[in-house]
Amino acid sequence: MTDELALVERFLRGRGEDAFRALYRAHTPALYALALRLAGGERAEAEDLVQESWVRALTALRTFRAQSALRSWLCGVLVNVHRGRIRADWRIVDAPDVEALADTTGRDDAIDLERAIAALPEGARDVYVLHDVHGYTHREIAELMGIVEGTSKSQLNRARSLLRSSLP
Amino acid sequence: MTNLPRETQPDSALEERVVSTLVAAGLVRRRRGWPVWAAAAAAVIVLAFGVTMFRPTHTLAQGKTYVVLLYEDSTYRPAPAGHDAERVAVLARWADSLDTVGKFERAGRLRGPGPLGGLFMIRAADDADAARIAASCPFTQWGGHIDVKRFER
Repeated sequence: MTDELALVERFLRGRGEDAFRALYRAHTPALYALALRLAGGERAEAEDLVQESWVRALTALRTFRAQSALRSWLCGVLVNVHRGRIRADWRIVDAPDVEALADTTGRDDAIDLERAIAALPEGARDVYVLHDVHGYTHREIAELMGIVEGTSKSQLNRARSLLRSSLP
Repeated sequence: MTNLPRETQPDSALEERVVSTLVAAGLVRRRRGWPVWAAAAAAVIVLAFGVTMFRPTHTLAQGKTYVVLLYEDSTYRPAPAGHDAERVAVLARWADSLDTVGKFERAGRLRGPGPLGGLFMIRAADDADAARIAASCPFTQWGGHIDVKRFER
């Protein structure tokens, strides 16, 4: 049994706080990094996403199968939570925030890129973050987001194109 | 692939917030020694698992077991969105006060059709004592009504 699975088993035996904290500390940094990017850099929104994702994940933890890595499964939960929130949110933008990009004054390339990613339209940003930052395949992204692979690919191309034109 | 960090450490306060939320939702059990009102909060707030039970922390007083039934009938005013936890905390403090004198056994939320929304199992000396304890339950400040029954094992 892998350490990861052992942690899950330990938690499921008693749902104890210590066992949960071990899971939390092992996986939340990855979840938060993903949430932060999907939320366009909004920390409060990212924290809400992480919190809601843990609630959903623990509710469904018995359905987790060891064929996939727990982290990938958790990230999938988070993406679905995020997608649900987008659908419930009328503030959907479908064009990059040009002013936000123009305001990019950081000297660090990574910071510039993070800001540019945050300014991407939702759909393109989600695919870009999952594919180019977190290493998901188009097939996995399609399953997670309920889209076809072709859409994932076109959104990725769109995101890359927007990033190229917005970065110095 | 873009070479950006795939892990970011969140604010440490988030861990406590997440744990508290999960405890309140009944998805995580607090370590031993946690106040009984928190356990009561977890038990009362859980909606998805039928009746959720927990155990008291003090030795039970002499007497009989009674069930205090909480009815969310047509007079009951549900908590505004996002304020459930406040009501749970009020009920949990009441349970805590009973527990300190050995008069609290268990609590739980009830699922299913009908207005019966939850219950407390209490220890009382006799029917009159049970009625007095039930009358002190803060539930009815939100409407609804309470019924008390002697529980026979």
